[in-house]
Amino acid sequence: MAGLNLNTITENATRFGTRLQETISEHTREFALTRASGTSYFDMPEERVRNIRNQLDSSSDREKLDAMKRLIALISKGRNVSEFFAQVVKNVASHNLEIRKLVYIYLLRYAEQEPDLALLSINTFQKDLSDSNPLIRAMALRVLSGIRVPMIGSIVVLAIKKCATDPSPYVRKAAALAIPKLYSLDSAHQPELITIISNLLRDRSPLSLGSVVVAFEAVCPTRLDLLHKHYRRLCRTLIDMDEWSQADLLTLLTRYARTMLPRPLVASATNRDEPEEVDQDLKLLLSSSEPLYHSNNPAVVMAVARAFYYLAPPSETKKLVPPLIRLLHISPEVERVVLTYLLIVSQTLAPLLVPHHAAFFVRTDDIQQIKRDKMQLLRTVISAENYQVLLREFIHYADDPDDELVADAIKAIGHCARIIPESTQQSLNALMGFIQSHYDVVVANAVLVLKSLVQIRLHKQDLLPSSTAYSPMAIISNLAYRIDEIRHPKARACVIWLVGQYAASPVTSENGALPHTGRVEGVASWAPDVLRKAAAGFMKEEPTVKLQTITLAAKLLVLSPSDRTLILLARYVLSLARYDLNFDVRDRARTIGSLLAGVTSEGLYPDKEDGFQEHRGVVLRREQVRMVLFEGKQDVSEDGVKHHDPTAVLASIRSITGRDTQNNLYLPDWLEQGIDPSLRETEDDAPSPAVVTSISSATSASVPRSIAASSRNTPVVLTPTTGPSPAGSFSGKAEGGKGPWMDLDKFYEESEEGESEEEEEDEDDDDDDDEEEDEGEGGEEEESGEEEEEEEEEEDVEDERAPLRPGGHSEGSTAQWSSEHLSTNS
Amino acid sequence: MAIDGLIILDPFGHPIIQSGFRSSPPAYPLLHIDAFNAALEKSARGSIDPVLFVHSLEYDASSVCCHVKHGDLRFLCPVTGDVDPLYVFAFMKTFIDILSEYLGNISSETLKENFDVVYQLLEETLDAGGHPSTTFPNALRDIVLPPSMLHKMLSVAGVAALAAPIAHGQPFSSPIPWRKMGVRYNNNEIYFDIAETLKATVNKNGAASTTAVWGRVDSNCKLSGTPDLLLNLAGVQNLNDCSFHPCVRIQRWTRDKQLSFVPPDGRFTLMEYRYTSGSVQQIVIPLQIKANVKLEESSSMALSSTDFQALRSCSSLGTIDITLVSRLTTRSLDNVVAQLYLGESATGVNMVATNNSSWSFDSKTKTLSWHIKSAPASSSFNLRGTVLSQKYLRPSRAFRVTFDINQHNFSALKVEQLKMTGELYKPFKGVRGRSVGDVEWRW
Repeated sequence: MAGLNLNTITENATRFGTRLQETISEHTREFALTRASGTSYFDMPEERVRNIRNQLDSSSDREKLDAMKRLIALISKGRNVSEFFAQVVKNVASHNLEIRKLVYIYLLRYAEQEPDLALLSINTFQKDLSDSNPLIRAMALRVLSGIRVPMIGSIVVLAIKKCATDPSPYVRKAAALAIPKLYSLDSAHQPELITIISNLLRDRSPLSLGSVVVAFEAVCPTRLDLLHKHYRRLCRTLIDMDEWSQADLLTLLTRYARTMLPRPLVASATNRDEPEEVDQDLKLLLSSSEPLYHSNNPAVVMAVARAFYYLAPPSETKKLVPPLIRLLHISPEVERVVLTYLLIVSQTLAPLLVPHHAAFFVRTDDIQQIKRDKMQLLRTVISAENYQVLLREFIHYADDPDDELVADAIKAIGHCARIIPESTQQSLNALMGFIQSHYDVVVANAVLVLKSLVQIRLHKQDLLPSSTAYSPMAIISNLAYRIDEIRHPKARACVIWLVGQYAASPVTSENGALPHTGRVEGVASWAPDVLRKAAAGFMKEEPTVKLQTITLAAKLLVLSPSDRTLILLARYVLSLARYDLNFDVRDRARTIGSLLAGVTSEGLYPDKEDGFQEHRGVVLRREQVRMVLFEGKQDVSEDGVKHHDPTAVLASIRSITGRDTQNNLYLPDWLEQGIDPSLRETEDDAPSPAVVTSISSATSASVPRSIAASSRNTPVVLTPTTGPSPAGSFSGKAEGGKGPWMDLDKFYEESEEGESEEEEEDEDDDDDDDEEEDEGEGGEEEESGEEEEEEEEEEDVEDERAPLRPGGHSEGSTAQWSSEHLSTNS
Repeated sequence: MAIDGLIILDPFGHPIIQSGFRSSPPAYPLLHIDAFNAALEKSARGSIDPVLFVHSLEYDASSVCCHVKHGDLRFLCPVTGDVDPLYVFAFMKTFIDILSEYLGNISSETLKENFDVVYQLLEETLDAGGHPSTTFPNALRDIVLPPSMLHKMLSVAGVAALAAPIAHGQPFSSPIPWRKMGVRYNNNEIYFDIAETLKATVNKNGAASTTAVWGRVDSNCKLSGTPDLLLNLAGVQNLNDCSFHPCVRIQRWTRDKQLSFVPPDGRFTLMEYRYTSGSVQQIVIPLQIKANVKLEESSSMALSSTDFQALRSCSSLGTIDITLVSRLTTRSLDNVVAQLYLGESATGVNMVATNNSSWSFDSKTKTLSWHIKSAPASSSFNLRGTVLSQKYLRPSRAFRVTFDINQHNFSALKVEQLKMTGELYKPFKGVRGRSVGDVEWRW
């Protein structure tokens, strides 16, 4: 017997051996092909494409697999291969899992185009849903929900319902992920899907719970009321979820907290000992999300930071800065995004960023956007302690080959000089140094910044005593002396304008010490010389410089109308300008010429006849011309400040692109009071014994005590956990709680006045509800059921004086109340 | 409202792999590829915004294209709706990590060779609804088989049952999502690689303005069963801003500064940290550079304000003289590369480098690179020469120097003790150190 067995075994073994040998040898042949075949799939000749159909129909798995790979390769190349759909669908029930997976990939791409043929495969998937292997079940559901054929919507609902109660959390996760797909295909299934979601929310496994969040956000993002009972559990399981779910859930919980929890009370500035009052549930959210700052996924860290930014009291908010700084080094892409977020953070928390200023130093290999944002951040972190270091950095950046960075850096130097008075001297030194640079950008920007600095300081001079050595006038005179070195046209034009504009104020206290030999009366000593130089090279200048030269000539002439040299210079400039090639310059010359007609006794043009012809109209007096030329200049504005969209939410795509997307993330403002915390209480909240846990256990004696013990004296009983209860039953419950404090006779007396008040409050309630509806879109029909409940609850919360309304509620409630009330009295 | 899909572009900007964009029109991925290629073309020196706004033909259906570069491939993720771009980048990083675990080196060849695996991975990691689903490599390995010789052989031989993942134990059955069930090794061993990166900026005067050491503990775990490890590190008090693999119990860390975890099987990054030296002394940069860069005009024309135009067209010449000295006394610096961007106007470079070093000039990126394969302790190298330029030369304001140091850590972090509970065998542990430097040296 044993021998016989042995015989068969050896026989089998040899048979298997030869089989294996055959296949291996066959395979090695094939293998030589497959080594290169990956790429050969991609570059296959056309006749092999035609062969695919036969291969798919063949009985060999290998042929089929080969054909499927070819198809996927064709898809990858962007070719439409829907013509093979019929052949592929036949293989959907293949025993080879690998073939099947490839078939699934194919099916998901083309099912929408061939809905009729796709229906053929439905049966297989339905069968697979009962497979013993959770992988097969999950995969079947994924494909079933991915086939975008509206006809099978109800089948998919059933499948999801079935998988939502699956013993394997992986399958339940697949069920949750299938919900949004079905919803986007046919939103008519929303009520059923919401039921499934609220069932799935009870799930204990962090794995599947995380995906329910995705479904929730897609199907019913406004139904935050569904989360009440799960809120605390969600907070506690947060840490056990996978990283993607953590980010999703934190976004949802942040929104929940803003909508449902009371605003944390900030400790007043006067009384620091007074602790901040933070709601327990908010504390729970913050404390359970804080460890996630240690996540290695930047999205999770950002989600935590956002929660802290929008929810935490000031004492906690500062925790978000170091983790965000840490994110900067992960990769350039992450750095680019996080820097923009930090800019939003810096609007309110700039002092917290100051110690981290070194993290924002620009490296030469940073990309454009990073440089830009870093410069903005560096501007915001300038302080009296670090300005030395930052100024040095800015000065260094001015050497960069990137023009934009140079411009930003020089503007930042100006900014620094403006906000830190001690740095003025240093900044101005640097700016004056830049004027001699070889590079156009450096000079142009330096002059522009100097100009705005001078203007701002001249504006402020009434307020601030000018104590520094670099007074605005000194800067202008310095620029004037260096006019030869300033070659960039824009910068030259700017200097010439400055000289003209401020030539009129030779403050004796400052310039008194200077020797004034050959000085023109009423004009600063340096001004005429600038005009001389500009006039000498007038022909070679750019139009912008020519325009400013004409203006300068006019201004100086107005200031000192009797000076012979100035008249000659002005005449020279105007005559040259009159025949200039650029018509702007000619126009300006003509305007100025006629404007000045009444200023000087001598004509500005050599041919007087012509001059008189032109000035036949109104001739302005000198004071009037002076007004025209000097006054009414625009107020100087801070340069280089990027104004941020105040509505941009931290960690939203809008804050990066600055544009709206389909559904922007929106965080509502806090509710002043928040909804009642007992709504969030559930049976498994063991540590809170003073809580009414269920209706049956709430004896009338224990209820008032529990209410008195709870921090808020608003008596509301939670919604029972098993399905929505009739609204009446639990309003009655609440009233039962009120009972012992109220005499029945008293109540009847009060109830009459109470009625009127209640009506007012009812209106208030309605308003509240309206607001809530405004916040959410869609899903209003479905909300009606739950809304009724909420209304009732809120009433109970608010009318403390007259909670009882005979006939106001359903009969059941009154009956229930009275029985309990009686028992209390007895 | 999520990640719409993933596109992988080859170096020429053509798609190799494209996930199915099911809920979008067929032109949608093409729109993104075009937008990306156009932006890339426009960008100077490859400086392209990683988050591109993509206009759509339809009104009010605009989307965003997030992209990263890996090797010479580009990974694109079109996104609609309000999703944190960090979420997208985190997903792409995870996917690239998974791909490199499956394929080793990721290039257009390996992708084309194993495209079926890539598609399966894509299917498992990115749910069609646009949310990442299974991203733990351990769980994935049960579902999608890595392309191995054996697997190919078995599947081609028709013995598919052996190749099916069921043979490896039930997928989706592990109670710990990051670790698979029933792992068995003959030799139980775990390796830790402590890799640190020094990022520093050095000012003109040779003093460091910023130094930061970022460290990472990579692990390769080959332990049977479900081991529960407790890792004690020496020098842990100097670690800041730590982040951990999900397997690490964070509460334990905040309490005792110990790493307690059930490791995943195979390679993973256990933790990342920033090292700050406890004492006053700063981290010493292990090399020193003396650079003398002079820019001068070749023509001696007198400059006046009116010669501004003339100046712009004159050619210029720059001289560069760099000396690099290693400050290490016992070890050598390896693969030292110093790079300097010379500005768009640079046309030619003529340099002389001392022994054992070489230089090159990439005329496309206008970058001068100087390679020193190995710089022994306290050695000194020199590079000098001239740069030709059409216009006024405008080089970058700093050298970028990168180098490796083997068997060295800036933080001197050590593995003090590794305790294991939950299994009976005694594991072998190995620890290695490695450091990389990335210094910006201003001249």
